[in-house]
Amino acid sequence: MSFEPKILSFLCNWCAYAGADLAGISRFQYPPNTRVIRVMCSGRVDPAFVPRAFLAGFDGVMILGCHPGDCHYISGNIQAERKIALLRKVLSDEGVGSERLLLDWVSAGEGQRFAELIRGFTEQIRSLGPFPKTEEIEGKLRAIRTSLEGEKIRWMVGKAPELMEKENVYGERTDPERVREVLETTLREELCKNRIMGFLEAATMTAKEISDKLNLSLKETLPHLVSLVGEGRIGFDTSEESHYPRYVRS
Amino acid sequence: MRLSYPSNVKVVKLPCTGRVDVLLILRAFESGVDGVYVAGCMEGECHFLRGNLRARRRVEYVKGLLEEVGLGGGRVEMFNMSASQGQRFAQFAREMTERIRLLGPSPVRK
Amino acid sequence: MELSDRTTNKDPAKPVGAVMVVGGGIGGMQASLDLAESGFFVYLVDNSPTIGGVMSQLDKTFPTNDCAMCIMSPKLVGTGGHRNIRVITHAEVKEITGPPGSFEAAIIRRPRYIRADKCTGCGECAKHCPVTAIDSYNEGMSKRAAVYLRYPQAIPKVFLIDRDTCIGCGLCERACLAGAVDYGDKESVEKISVGSVILAPGFEVFAAERRPEFGYGVFPNVLTSIEFERILSATGPHRSHLLRPSDGAIPERIAFIQCVGSRDVKCGNDYCSSICCMYAVKEAIIAKEHVPFVKPTIFNMDIRAYGKGFDAYYERAKADYDVRFIKSMVSKVREKQGTGNLLVTFLNEEGKASEEEFDLVVLSVGMTPSQSVRDMAARLGVNLNRFGFCETETFTPLATSREGIYVCGAFQSPKDIPETVAQASGAAGAAAEIIASARGTLAIKKEYPPESEVKPEDEARIGVFVCHCGINIGGVVNVPAVREYASTLPNVIHADENLYTCSQDTQEKIKNAVKEHGLNRVIVASCSPRTHEPMFRETIREAGLNKFLFEMANIRDQCSWVHMRRKAEATEKAKLLVRMAVANARLNSPLTETEVPVIQRGLVIGGGVAGMTAALCLAEQGFEVFLVEKEDRLGGNLLHLHHTIEGGDVKAFLRGLIARALDNSKIHVLLNSQIVDFNGVRGNFTTGVRTAPDMVYQKIQHGITILATGAQEEKPDGYLYGEDPRVLTQLELEDRLDQAGDDAIQLQDVVMIQCVGSRNEKHPSCSRTCCATAVKNALKLKKLNPAMNIRILYRDIRTYGFLETYYTQARREGIVFVRYDAEESPEVKKEGETLLISFEDKILKERMTLKPDLIVLSSASIPRENKELANLLKVPRTAEGFFLEAHMKLRPVDFASDGIYVAGSAHAPKLISESISQAYAAAARACTILSKDNLMVGGIVAVVDGERCAACLTCVRVCPYDVPVVNVRGEAEIDIIQCKGCGTCAAECPARAIDLMHFTTGQLEAKVGALVEG
Repeated sequence: MSFEPKILSFLCNWCAYAGADLAGISRFQYPPNTRVIRVMCSGRVDPAFVPRAFLAGFDGVMILGCHPGDCHYISGNIQAERKIALLRKVLSDEGVGSERLLLDWVSAGEGQRFAELIRGFTEQIRSLGPFPKTEEIEGKLRAIRTSLEGEKIRWMVGKAPELMEKENVYGERTDPERVREVLETTLREELCKNRIMGFLEAATMTAKEISDKLNLSLKETLPHLVSLVGEGRIGFDTSEESHYPRYVRS
Repeated sequence: MRLSYPSNVKVVKLPCTGRVDVLLILRAFESGVDGVYVAGCMEGECHFLRGNLRARRRVEYVKGLLEEVGLGGGRVEMFNMSASQGQRFAQFAREMTERIRLLGPSPVRK
Repeated sequence: MELSDRTTNKDPAKPVGAVMVVGGGIGGMQASLDLAESGFFVYLVDNSPTIGGVMSQLDKTFPTNDCAMCIMSPKLVGTGGHRNIRVITHAEVKEITGPPGSFEAAIIRRPRYIRADKCTGCGECAKHCPVTAIDSYNEGMSKRAAVYLRYPQAIPKVFLIDRDTCIGCGLCERACLAGAVDYGDKESVEKISVGSVILAPGFEVFAAERRPEFGYGVFPNVLTSIEFERILSATGPHRSHLLRPSDGAIPERIAFIQCVGSRDVKCGNDYCSSICCMYAVKEAIIAKEHVPFVKPTIFNMDIRAYGKGFDAYYERAKADYDVRFIKSMVSKVREKQGTGNLLVTFLNEEGKASEEEFDLVVLSVGMTPSQSVRDMAARLGVNLNRFGFCETETFTPLATSREGIYVCGAFQSPKDIPETVAQASGAAGAAAEIIASARGTLAIKKEYPPESEVKPEDEARIGVFVCHCGINIGGVVNVPAVREYASTLPNVIHADENLYTCSQDTQEKIKNAVKEHGLNRVIVASCSPRTHEPMFRETIREAGLNKFLFEMANIRDQCSWVHMRRKAEATEKAKLLVRMAVANARLNSPLTETEVPVIQRGLVIGGGVAGMTAALCLAEQGFEVFLVEKEDRLGGNLLHLHHTIEGGDVKAFLRGLIARALDNSKIHVLLNSQIVDFNGVRGNFTTGVRTAPDMVYQKIQHGITILATGAQEEKPDGYLYGEDPRVLTQLELEDRLDQAGDDAIQLQDVVMIQCVGSRNEKHPSCSRTCCATAVKNALKLKKLNPAMNIRILYRDIRTYGFLETYYTQARREGIVFVRYDAEESPEVKKEGETLLISFEDKILKERMTLKPDLIVLSSASIPRENKELANLLKVPRTAEGFFLEAHMKLRPVDFASDGIYVAGSAHAPKLISESISQAYAAAARACTILSKDNLMVGGIVAVVDGERCAACLTCVRVCPYDVPVVNVRGEAEIDIIQCKGCGTCAAECPARAIDLMHFTTGQLEAKVGALVEG
C-alpha cells in the first residue's frame, strides 16, 4: 500500500481558515491528508504542539497565518514566526523533522494558494516518507516538548520582543544577539537535561554513556550532569565501586 | 538542597546527642514508635567535645536491650554526619525507613 | 537601623566608639565579633555580596579535618545577627579622611537589585531565572542563575542580581512573592564615622595560567587546589564525588604540585604561601577518605608543616593514608594524547629527569593580594610591601603605615585560619586601644518592656503561626489545614497563617496577638530554628514574654522541601510537627538569666613579650592588670635575643616594652612570684600568689586570666653538646656573636644541624622558628666573614611567609643547604682534638666527612615548666606540654574554660611578631568579658535536684568541661556560669536527679508522646 501522509494544519481564523473556505467555495482540489485545527491566530500555536503532533503520529505539521502586516491581532503572526523559527532551529539541530514543519501565510482571498500549499506540502511529506519513529527520536521529541512546555523558555519567548524592541526592567534595550544567545543556550541546556532525565528513566548510566547517547563530547556533557546533580534531580549510584560512577535519577 | 526523604522521619531537636537518654529511647518505643535513630556530629567534631561518643555507647546499649526483649536491635541506630552533609542525612533517613519497613510495625503497638 | 545619629562625631577630641572592619572572611568576622562584644559598634564592609570569605569555599580544615562550614556557621550567624555589627556587603571603601580616632569613611554600595529588608532567601527567583552564569563559588565548575545567593548558608541570606548576565526579563520579580525585587536599585555612597579601621580583605589564589608549563587552562585535568577543594565539598559541583573534569571518571593517581606561584623569583613571588603544604596534605587525605583506591603524590621542595600539630598530621598522611611525598620540583606537565591523563616531568632527588603518568594534577596555588585590594590600599594611603601585601614592622605586626588603621589575616602575610583568627582578635585589641575611652558610646543597648510573669501553674495559652513561606511551604503543605488542625489542639488559643512569618509586619502581628489573646506561649511553624529562632525570640521578648516561651516547628527544611512530591503526607507530617511543638510548648517555662558582676581586672601570668604586650593592651584600655613573673625580671626569652632576621633591634625593643610595663600605673608587676592556688569562673576569679624571697602570700581577684608562660630552648642531647665547647646551640651562638663578634672572623667552617630534638618520637612537633634562626645566624656569620664555609643540614627548610626571602639570600651568598633524612642523622665525633661531622650527601650519594670549627645545633623549643599551673587552672596541655586551646582552628587563644586565654610560645613556638599579635588577641578576647559590668548566666543549663542526688560522680565523669562537683552537702553541684548546656549529665544521671532546662526529660518525652498519640 502506498504511503498516505498524515498532516496536521493549524489555520488562523481570519486569513488561512477563510482562505481554506474560499478554496472550497471555489472548488479548488487538494489532497485529503490534512486535518485542520482552527485557531484564532497563528500566534496561538504553541511550539510544544509540534513535537506533540509528531509524537501522536503525524508526519507533517503546517501552520498557516495571515500575511505579515495583515494580522487581525496586530503582530500575532510575527510572534508565531519567531517562536516557530526557534522551534525549527531546535528540530534541525536535533535532526528531528524540521523539514516536516511548514509555516506560511495565506490571506482570506488566496484560495488557490491555499490549495497549492497543501498539495506541495503533502507531496513533500510523501516523498520524505513516514515520520521515523525510533526510540532515540521519540526521546528527543519528548525532551523538546518538555523543554518548550517549561516556564523558563515560555517566559523568554514571550518576553524577547519587548526586551529587544522596547526596554527591559532596567529601562534599557537588550542587545538582540544577547537575547538570542540566552534563549538558545537555555533551550539547549533544558533539552539536554530533559534528554538525560529520559535516558536515566530506563537505567543508570556513566557520563561516557550519556555523552555518547547525546552525541556530545564529555566536556559538553558534564556541565549538564553537574546542573542536574545541583538541582537534586539526579545523583550517583553508590551500589558499586568503580572508576566510572553511574548516574541515577533521584 | 531540596533532597527528598520519606516523611516517616520526625526530628526531635537536641543541643547535643549527649542529651539522648537511654530511657528516652525506650520511652519512645514504649509509646509505639517503630524505630529511633540518633544523628550526631562526626566523631571527633562534637560541638560539646564528646557527647556524640557517649550517645553512641548508649545507642549500642539500647540495641542490646531491644534484642533481648525481642523488638530487634535494628530498630535503633546511631549515625554521624556534618552540617554540610544534607545528602547523607537524606540517605540515612531513607535507609532507616527502609530497614524499619522490613522489620514491620513495632510489636509494642499490637 | 538608622544611621543618622551616629554619622557625625560631635566632639572631635573624643574618639568615635565605632570601628570599620574591611573584609568579612573569618578574620573580619572574628575582629567584628570581638569588638562588638567589647562595647564598640562595628561596620563590617565586604566587597563580596556575602560574608564568609575563602573559608566558606573550603571543604575541610587541617589538621583536624573539621568541616569548614560546620565550624564557621556559628560565626556567620553570630556576625549577621549581632546588634552591634552592621554588615555592609557588595560594597567597597572609597576613601578614609580625618584623623585617627575620628575617621570618616566613604563607602560605595553597589546595587543588589534585591531588597535586603524584604528578601527571605527562599530562592524562588533563582529557580525561575532563565539565564545561567558561571558559578564563582564553585570556581566555575558549575552554573548558577543570574539572580543568586553565593552559597546556601550565606549571610546575609539575601539574593542579588548579577547585572552583567541579567537580561532584564522580569521573571524574578514575578516569582518573588515577598516583593523584594527592585530593578531601580542604584549605586550609593554612604559616609560613616569610625575611630579606627581594621583591614582584613584576605587574598586571592595565584593565577595558575602564569605558569604555562603546568598546562592549567589547557589540559582539563589540571586543576587548582581551590577547585579541587570545591570538588571534594558536599556542596561542590559533584556533591563531594571525586570526579575529574575531562570525562567524569574517578581519578586514581593524583599529583599535587607544590609552590605554584610561591617561592618563585621568576614570577616575582619570592615568598612562601605558608598554607599550601598543609592544604595539599589535607586534600590528599580527604581524597583518600572519599575514594580508598586514590593514590596521592605530593611533589614538593620542603614540606612546611611548621604549625601546631602539623607534623603529626603530615606523618599520619604518610603512615595511614599512603600519601607519597617526592622531594622534587616538577618542570613540565603534558597530556597523554587521547586519555586525558597527564605526564609529569620532574627531576628526582638524584638529579635525574623522570616522568610519571597521573589521572589528575592539582596545582597548589599560592596566596596573593588581589588587584582590587592593592587599589584600595593605594586609595587609603596604606603602604604595601614589594609583593603587594600590607607592610608591617616586626614589633608592630598589627599596624599599617597609616595610624589608626590596623591589619590582620592573609593581607598582612600568607597565613592559615587559626593564625588569621588570632591576628584578627589581635587587630581588634589594637583597634580598641586607641578608642577605649569611647567604649559603650555607640553600642546599642536594647531596652525591653518588663516580662509578664508566667507561673508553672498558669494554664498555657498558646498562639500558633503557620507560615506559607511564599510557596516554599504553601506549595506542598496545605497550610490552612495545618492552621485549622493547630486550633483544635489543647491550649491553643489562637492560630493564624502568614505568607512570610519572618517579615517585619508579621512581627507586629505576632506582638499584637500576644496582647490581644493574652498568649503566654508562641509557636511558629516555618523554617529552621537554627536561623530564625533568635529573631522570633526577640519578637516575643518585645511583646513582654520570656524568650524561652517560644517554640518552633520546622515544617520547611525538614518537611515541605524534602517531601515535595508527597503533598498529603507532608501535610500530615506538618500537623504532627505542630502537635509535637504544642506538647513541648505547654511545658516550656520561662528561664531567667541572672546578672553576675564582673571584676574588671586582669591577671597575666608570664612577663615575657607576650605577657607584657597583653598586659599593656589591657591597661591601655583602662583595665587594671596583675602581671606575675616567676623570675626576678621581666623579659623572658627575649633577654637572650639580639636581633631579628629582618634586622630589628630586640634589645632596644625589649627595653622600651619593659619600661612601658613598669611605668604604667594600671599594671602591677609581681616579680619572683608564683601562682599557688586558683579558683572561680569567668568574670570572678581568685588567685593566690606567693612572692619570693619572703614567700609573701596575697590573693588577687580578677575577671580574666591570660597564660603567657613562654617556651625555652631545650638543652640538646648528643652531638657532643656540653662535652666540646665548639658545639653550641643557636641561642648560644647568637650571644657569642653579639658579645665577641670579631672572634667569629676566625672561623672557617661552620655546620648547623636542624631539628635537634624536634620532629622525633619524643617531641613530634616542628619548633617552627629554628630554620629562620639558623638562616639569620648564618647570614650574620657570612657578613662577618664572607669567606666562611657554612653548611646547614636540614630535613625541610621551613622559612614560611616572607622569611623565604632570607633563605633565598642565604643560598645566594653561598651558604650550603644539605638535606638529611630522619633515619640518617648526622654524626658528630672527635678524633683527638679534631671535631668531625659526617652525613649522607643525597646528590653525590656518598658519605661526607667534614672538620668544622663550629657546630651549631638548632635545638627544640619546649614549654617552660607549666604542669603545676595547668593543674591549678584545670587547663589542658598537649602531649609535649604546650597549652591546648579550645579549638585548633577558630578559638586559637581561648581555653575551653571561659575567661582563660593563652598567648605566645606557651601555646606553641612562635616568632616575636607572632607572639605580639597573639598577645593582643588574648587581650581582645579578655576584653569581651572585662568590658561588661555584668555577665548574663543561666538559661539552658543543667540543674541538679539535690534531694535525689546520690553523689555517684557519674556527672563528674561525663561532663566534657569538668563542671560538676560534689559539694559539702554531698550533692552534685553544677555551676550555671560554666555549664554549656549539652545535657550529657542529664542523660546519664542514674537517679535522674539532673535535668537540662528547656530540654527537660518531661519535654522530650512529651514530644515523643505527641508523635504517636492520636
